[in-house]
Amino acid sequence: MKIDVVDGPGGVVVLKPEGRLNMVAAPAVREAVSSIVDSGRSKVAVDLSGVEFIDSSGLGALISGLKTTRQAGGDLRIAGANDQVKLVLSLTNLERVLTPYDTVENAYGDA
Amino acid sequence: MPEPLRRTVRLTTPPGDVNTVHDFLVELWPDVDTVSNVDRISIETALIELAANVMQHADSDGSGLTCEFTIVVSDDAIEMVVRDTGEPGEIQLVGAEMPELDAESGRGLALISALVDEVAYAQEGGHNVWRLKRARTTGA
Repeated sequence: MKIDVVDGPGGVVVLKPEGRLNMVAAPAVREAVSSIVDSGRSKVAVDLSGVEFIDSSGLGALISGLKTTRQAGGDLRIAGANDQVKLVLSLTNLERVLTPYDTVENAYGDA
Repeated sequence: MPEPLRRTVRLTTPPGDVNTVHDFLVELWPDVDTVSNVDRISIETALIELAANVMQHADSDGSGLTCEFTIVVSDDAIEMVVRDTGEPGEIQLVGAEMPELDAESGRGLALISALVDEVAYAQEGGHNVWRLKRARTTGA
């Protein structure tokens, strides 16, 4: 899976995975968040606008990233989720901890 | 009433993986363009979760696995049958509960139960056979 990492507004690091976030791709997302936190940054926004599909492995990687960033005093927020991602977040109740924002800019609008 | 559309893909892991199953579904949808968006994404998610589960748990020694995925799309329902040559599954499919919010795994089977109307597992002729069925939200 291709994952772009770029600097966003307000010190936020934007992670943009492309394609299917499944059991094949999940480890790369997990590692990408870990390496951001290892480099001393902890506010992460995951731009899901290029993700066409997520499964429970992909959700696990996002939860892992959420815990890693929060332990470092930051946060992980998601934006740009399609209908499939929103359905899966809803059925797993994870929208309570991973609120789907429309855009990366909105994700940290309160920061 | 048109005949149900039936497609099958067989794969061996490795190199086959969940993306092989996903590609199979992506190629199928244009031929059944009356399937609604919510049915399509529900079926894709349920089948990929089941495939991931089979590949992870029925092949604990890593020696590889042969699986066969069949999908049947009829006017009122979509059925999927997954047959593998792996170890007998002791997977509780029905009633699997969602884990705590901070759990990093364990959601797959609960998700399948939430996405389809019927889930069944049997051992038939030395194979694990899973059957999933979802009633279509809008008829063809």
